[in-house]
Amino acid sequence: MTIHNLYIFDKYGTLLHYGEWNRIKQSGITKEEEAKLMYGMLFSIKSFVNKISPTDSKDGFLYYKTNKYALHYYETPSGIRFVINTDTASTSVKEFLQQYYSKVWVEYVVKNPLWNGAPVTSDLFKQKSDEFIKQSVMFA
Amino acid sequence: MLVETVFELLHSELVAYTTENKENDLSTLEYLGYSTGYRLIERLTREYPRFKDELDTMKFICTDFWTSIYKKQIDNLRTNHQGIYVLQDNSFRFLNNLSNGSQYLEYAPKFVAFTCGLVRGSLANLGINSTVTAEVHSMPTCKFHIQVNRT
Repeated sequence: MTIHNLYIFDKYGTLLHYGEWNRIKQSGITKEEEAKLMYGMLFSIKSFVNKISPTDSKDGFLYYKTNKYALHYYETPSGIRFVINTDTASTSVKEFLQQYYSKVWVEYVVKNPLWNGAPVTSDLFKQKSDEFIKQSVMFA
Repeated sequence: MLVETVFELLHSELVAYTTENKENDLSTLEYLGYSTGYRLIERLTREYPRFKDELDTMKFICTDFWTSIYKKQIDNLRTNHQGIYVLQDNSFRFLNNLSNGSQYLEYAPKFVAFTCGLVRGSLANLGINSTVTAEVHSMPTCKFHIQVNRT
Protein backbone atom coordinates (compact mmCIF):
# COMPACT_ATOMS: atom_id res chain seq x y z
CA MET A 1 0.00 0.00 0.00
CA THR A 2 1.10 3.51 -0.51
CA ILE A 3 0.23 7.18 -0.23
CA HIS A 4 0.83 9.34 -3.28
CA ASN A 5 0.09 12.91 -2.30
CA LEU A 6 -1.96 15.20 -0.10
CA TYR A 7 -3.69 18.52 -0.75
CA ILE A 8 -5.16 20.80 1.90
CA PHE A 9 -7.54 23.54 0.78
CA ASP A 10 -9.38 26.18 2.75
CA LYS A 11 -13.07 26.93 2.20
CA TYR A 12 -12.23 29.47 -0.53
CA GLY A 13 -10.19 27.00 -2.54
CA THR A 14 -6.73 28.30 -1.60
CA LEU A 15 -4.09 25.59 -1.48
CA LEU A 16 -2.77 25.71 2.09
CA HIS A 17 -0.41 22.77 1.92
CA TYR A 18 0.78 20.17 -0.56
CA GLY A 19 2.75 17.04 0.28
CA GLU A 20 4.07 14.43 -2.08
CA TRP A 21 5.54 10.97 -1.43
CA ASN A 22 5.25 8.28 -4.06
CA ARG A 23 4.15 10.02 -7.18
CA ILE A 24 5.54 8.52 -10.33
CA LYS A 25 3.65 10.46 -12.95
CA GLN A 26 3.72 14.27 -12.82
CA SER A 27 0.92 16.30 -14.34
CA GLY A 28 3.19 18.54 -16.41
CA ILE A 29 1.59 21.76 -15.17
CA THR A 30 2.57 24.00 -12.28
CA LYS A 31 1.50 23.14 -8.73
CA GLU A 32 -0.76 26.22 -8.65
CA GLU A 33 -2.52 25.22 -11.87
CA GLU A 34 -2.86 21.67 -10.67
CA ALA A 35 -4.33 22.79 -7.35
CA LYS A 36 -6.89 24.94 -9.13
CA LEU A 37 -7.90 22.04 -11.37
CA MET A 38 -8.12 19.75 -8.39
CA TYR A 39 -10.25 22.15 -6.39
CA GLY A 40 -12.50 22.81 -9.34
CA MET A 41 -13.07 19.12 -9.92
CA LEU A 42 -13.83 18.51 -6.24
CA PHE A 43 -16.22 21.43 -6.19
CA SER A 44 -18.07 20.00 -9.18
CA ILE A 45 -18.11 16.45 -7.85
CA LYS A 46 -19.46 17.64 -4.53
CA SER A 47 -22.32 19.56 -6.05
CA PHE A 48 -23.00 16.78 -8.57
CA VAL A 49 -23.13 14.14 -5.85
CA ASN A 50 -25.47 16.22 -3.73
CA LYS A 51 -27.80 16.98 -6.62
CA ILE A 52 -27.98 13.46 -7.99
CA SER A 53 -28.33 11.65 -4.64
CA PRO A 54 -31.71 9.88 -4.40
CA THR A 55 -31.85 10.49 -0.64
CA ASP A 56 -30.46 13.21 1.60
CA SER A 57 -26.99 12.05 2.43
CA LYS A 58 -25.17 13.19 5.52
CA ASP A 59 -21.63 12.78 4.28
CA GLY A 60 -21.85 13.68 0.62
CA PHE A 61 -18.77 12.95 -1.49
CA LEU A 62 -16.30 10.63 0.22
CA TYR A 63 -13.93 9.16 -2.36
CA TYR A 64 -13.52 7.87 -5.90
CA LYS A 65 -11.47 5.02 -7.24
CA THR A 66 -9.85 4.25 -10.57
CA ASN A 67 -8.06 1.01 -11.30
CA LYS A 68 -4.74 2.61 -10.35
CA TYR A 69 -5.47 4.86 -7.39
CA ALA A 70 -8.14 6.18 -5.02
CA LEU A 71 -8.83 9.79 -4.11
CA HIS A 72 -10.22 10.40 -0.62
CA TYR A 73 -11.93 13.60 0.39
CA TYR A 74 -12.57 14.83 3.92
CA GLU A 75 -14.15 18.16 4.72
CA THR A 76 -14.42 19.61 8.21
CA PRO A 77 -17.45 21.66 9.32
CA SER A 78 -15.22 24.74 9.14
CA GLY A 79 -14.52 24.08 5.48
CA ILE A 80 -10.93 22.83 5.51
CA ARG A 81 -10.65 20.17 2.78
CA PHE A 82 -8.21 17.31 2.96
CA VAL A 83 -7.57 15.35 -0.21
CA ILE A 84 -5.32 12.33 -0.25
CA ASN A 85 -4.43 9.97 -3.08
CA THR A 86 -3.63 6.40 -2.14
CA ASP A 87 -3.49 3.04 -3.87
CA THR A 88 -6.79 1.20 -4.26
CA ALA A 89 -6.23 -1.25 -1.39
CA SER A 90 -6.11 1.34 1.42
CA THR A 91 -8.93 1.17 3.95
CA SER A 92 -10.33 3.54 6.61
CA VAL A 93 -8.66 6.54 5.04
CA LYS A 94 -11.45 8.77 6.33
CA GLU A 95 -10.53 7.95 9.93
CA PHE A 96 -6.92 8.57 9.04
CA LEU A 97 -7.71 12.02 7.67
CA GLN A 98 -9.75 12.85 10.77
CA GLN A 99 -6.77 11.91 12.91
CA TYR A 100 -4.47 13.96 10.71
CA TYR A 101 -6.77 16.93 11.10
CA SER A 102 -6.96 16.81 14.89
CA LYS A 103 -3.40 15.69 15.66
CA VAL A 104 -1.40 17.58 13.05
CA TRP A 105 -3.46 20.36 11.51
CA VAL A 106 -5.11 21.67 14.69
CA GLU A 107 -1.97 21.27 16.79
CA TYR A 108 0.65 22.77 14.53
CA VAL A 109 -1.28 25.12 12.29
CA VAL A 110 -4.40 26.29 14.11
CA LYS A 111 -2.57 26.58 17.44
CA ASN A 112 0.40 28.32 15.89
CA PRO A 113 -0.13 31.99 16.73
CA LEU A 114 1.84 33.09 13.68
CA TRP A 115 -0.47 31.39 11.18
CA ASN A 116 -2.93 33.83 9.63
CA GLY A 117 -4.87 31.68 7.18
CA ALA A 118 -2.34 31.84 4.36
CA PRO A 119 -0.53 28.81 2.90
CA VAL A 120 1.40 27.13 5.70
CA THR A 121 5.11 27.97 5.98
CA SER A 122 5.88 26.40 9.36
CA ASP A 123 8.73 23.89 9.19
CA LEU A 124 7.46 22.22 12.35
CA PHE A 125 4.10 21.50 10.72
CA LYS A 126 5.78 20.13 7.60
CA GLN A 127 7.96 17.86 9.68
CA LYS A 128 5.08 16.58 11.85
CA SER A 129 2.90 16.11 8.79
CA ASP A 130 5.57 14.06 7.05
CA GLU A 131 6.13 11.95 10.18
CA PHE A 132 2.41 11.31 10.62
CA ILE A 133 1.99 10.17 7.01
CA LYS A 134 5.08 7.98 7.08
CA GLN A 135 4.00 6.30 10.30
CA SER A 136 0.60 5.31 8.97
CA VAL A 137 -0.14 1.72 8.04
CA MET A 138 -1.08 2.84 4.55
CA PHE A 139 2.32 4.29 3.81
CA ALA A 140 4.34 1.06 4.10
CA MET B 1 -7.56 19.83 27.52
CA LEU B 2 -9.96 22.45 26.21
CA VAL B 3 -9.22 24.76 29.15
CA GLU B 4 -5.56 24.71 28.18
CA THR B 5 -6.37 25.49 24.58
CA VAL B 6 -8.46 28.46 25.67
CA PHE B 7 -5.54 29.75 27.74
CA GLU B 8 -3.13 29.28 24.82
CA LEU B 9 -5.39 31.03 22.33
CA LEU B 10 -6.15 33.86 24.71
CA HIS B 11 -2.44 34.32 25.30
CA SER B 12 -1.67 34.51 21.61
CA GLU B 13 -4.41 37.11 21.15
CA LEU B 14 -2.95 39.05 24.05
CA VAL B 15 0.45 38.98 22.36
CA ALA B 16 -1.01 40.09 19.04
CA TYR B 17 -3.07 42.85 20.64
CA THR B 18 -0.37 44.37 22.85
CA THR B 19 2.30 44.31 20.17
CA GLU B 20 0.05 45.46 17.35
CA ASN B 21 1.29 49.03 16.97
CA LYS B 22 4.56 48.93 18.84
CA GLU B 23 6.58 46.05 17.51
CA ASN B 24 9.48 46.11 19.96
CA ASP B 25 7.73 47.23 23.10
CA LEU B 26 6.89 44.30 25.31
CA SER B 27 6.41 46.27 28.52
CA THR B 28 2.58 46.20 28.39
CA LEU B 29 2.62 42.46 27.97
CA GLU B 30 5.16 42.07 30.76
CA TYR B 31 3.08 44.21 33.07
CA LEU B 32 -0.06 42.18 32.33
CA GLY B 33 1.93 39.13 33.35
CA TYR B 34 3.12 40.91 36.47
CA SER B 35 -0.36 41.74 37.74
CA THR B 36 -1.62 38.26 36.83
CA GLY B 37 1.23 36.66 38.76
CA TYR B 38 0.80 39.00 41.70
CA ARG B 39 -2.84 38.04 42.13
CA LEU B 40 -2.45 34.41 41.18
CA ILE B 41 0.01 33.72 43.95
CA GLU B 42 -2.60 34.57 46.61
CA ARG B 43 -4.74 31.75 45.36
CA LEU B 44 -1.97 29.24 44.75
CA THR B 45 -0.19 29.50 48.07
CA ARG B 46 -3.16 29.46 50.37
CA GLU B 47 -2.48 25.91 51.50
CA TYR B 48 1.27 26.27 51.80
CA PRO B 49 3.36 26.87 54.90
CA ARG B 50 5.67 29.84 54.69
CA PHE B 51 8.75 29.34 52.58
CA LYS B 52 12.03 28.81 54.41
CA ASP B 53 14.21 30.93 52.19
CA GLU B 54 14.68 32.23 48.70
CA LEU B 55 15.71 28.88 47.23
CA ASP B 56 12.63 27.26 48.73
CA THR B 57 10.48 29.86 47.00
CA MET B 58 12.24 29.23 43.70
CA LYS B 59 11.63 25.52 44.05
CA PHE B 60 7.95 26.23 44.52
CA ILE B 61 7.97 28.31 41.33
CA CYS B 62 9.66 25.48 39.43
CA THR B 63 7.33 22.75 40.60
CA ASP B 64 3.82 23.55 41.81
CA PHE B 65 3.54 27.00 40.30
CA TRP B 66 4.75 25.88 36.88
CA THR B 67 2.61 22.74 36.97
CA SER B 68 -0.56 24.64 37.73
CA ILE B 69 -0.01 26.99 34.80
CA TYR B 70 1.93 25.00 32.20
CA LYS B 71 1.06 21.42 33.23
CA LYS B 72 4.72 20.48 33.59
CA GLN B 73 7.65 21.25 35.84
CA ILE B 74 10.71 23.30 35.05
CA ASP B 75 13.31 20.89 33.67
CA ASN B 76 16.35 22.47 35.21
CA LEU B 77 17.00 24.97 38.01
CA ARG B 78 20.43 26.46 38.50
CA THR B 79 21.69 29.14 40.84
CA ASN B 80 24.96 30.79 41.82
CA HIS B 81 23.63 31.23 45.40
CA GLN B 82 24.10 34.95 45.01
CA GLY B 83 20.68 35.87 43.78
CA ILE B 84 20.81 34.64 40.21
CA TYR B 85 18.57 31.75 39.19
CA VAL B 86 18.20 30.12 35.81
CA LEU B 87 15.02 28.16 35.10
CA GLN B 88 15.07 26.05 31.99
CA ASP B 89 11.96 24.68 30.33
CA ASN B 90 12.74 22.28 27.48
CA SER B 91 9.30 22.38 25.93
CA PHE B 92 7.79 25.70 26.82
CA ARG B 93 4.02 25.75 26.22
CA PHE B 94 3.85 28.93 24.20
CA LEU B 95 6.63 27.83 21.87
CA ASN B 96 5.63 24.19 21.45
CA ASN B 97 3.38 24.71 18.47
CA LEU B 98 5.56 27.33 16.90
CA SER B 99 8.76 25.66 15.83
CA ASN B 100 11.37 23.14 16.89
CA GLY B 101 14.44 24.94 15.71
CA SER B 102 15.39 28.41 14.68
CA GLN B 103 12.46 29.18 12.35
CA TYR B 104 10.43 32.15 13.69
CA LEU B 105 13.13 32.80 16.31
CA GLU B 106 12.68 36.55 15.85
CA TYR B 107 9.13 36.25 17.20
CA ALA B 108 10.10 34.28 20.30
CA PRO B 109 10.49 37.29 22.66
CA LYS B 110 6.81 38.13 22.18
CA PHE B 111 5.75 34.74 23.47
CA VAL B 112 7.88 34.70 26.60
CA ALA B 113 7.35 38.29 27.83
CA PHE B 114 4.07 37.51 29.59
CA THR B 115 5.65 34.64 31.49
CA CYS B 116 8.59 36.82 32.56
CA GLY B 117 6.08 39.20 34.09
CA LEU B 118 4.16 36.31 35.61
CA VAL B 119 7.25 35.09 37.46
CA ARG B 120 8.27 38.60 38.51
CA GLY B 121 4.78 39.35 39.85
CA SER B 122 4.57 36.11 41.79
CA LEU B 123 7.96 36.64 43.37
CA ALA B 124 7.08 40.22 44.19
CA ASN B 125 4.06 39.10 46.19
CA LEU B 126 6.24 36.55 47.97
CA GLY B 127 8.56 39.33 49.04
CA ILE B 128 11.29 38.92 46.44
CA ASN B 129 12.07 41.91 44.32
CA SER B 130 13.56 40.71 41.04
CA THR B 131 14.28 41.23 37.38
CA VAL B 132 13.20 38.42 35.07
CA THR B 133 14.47 38.00 31.53
CA ALA B 134 14.15 35.15 29.07
CA GLU B 135 16.48 33.66 26.54
CA VAL B 136 15.54 31.46 23.59
CA HIS B 137 18.23 29.87 21.46
CA SER B 138 16.36 27.01 19.89
CA MET B 139 12.64 26.55 20.26
CA PRO B 140 10.82 25.18 22.19
CA THR B 141 13.53 25.48 24.87
CA CYS B 142 13.41 28.62 26.97
CA LYS B 143 15.60 29.84 29.82
CA PHE B 144 14.32 32.32 32.38
CA HIS B 145 16.94 34.33 34.23
CA ILE B 146 15.86 35.65 37.58
CA GLN B 147 18.03 38.26 39.21
CA VAL B 148 17.08 39.13 42.75
CA ASN B 149 17.44 42.82 43.46
CA ARG B 150 18.90 43.41 46.88
CA THR B 151 18.60 46.84 48.32
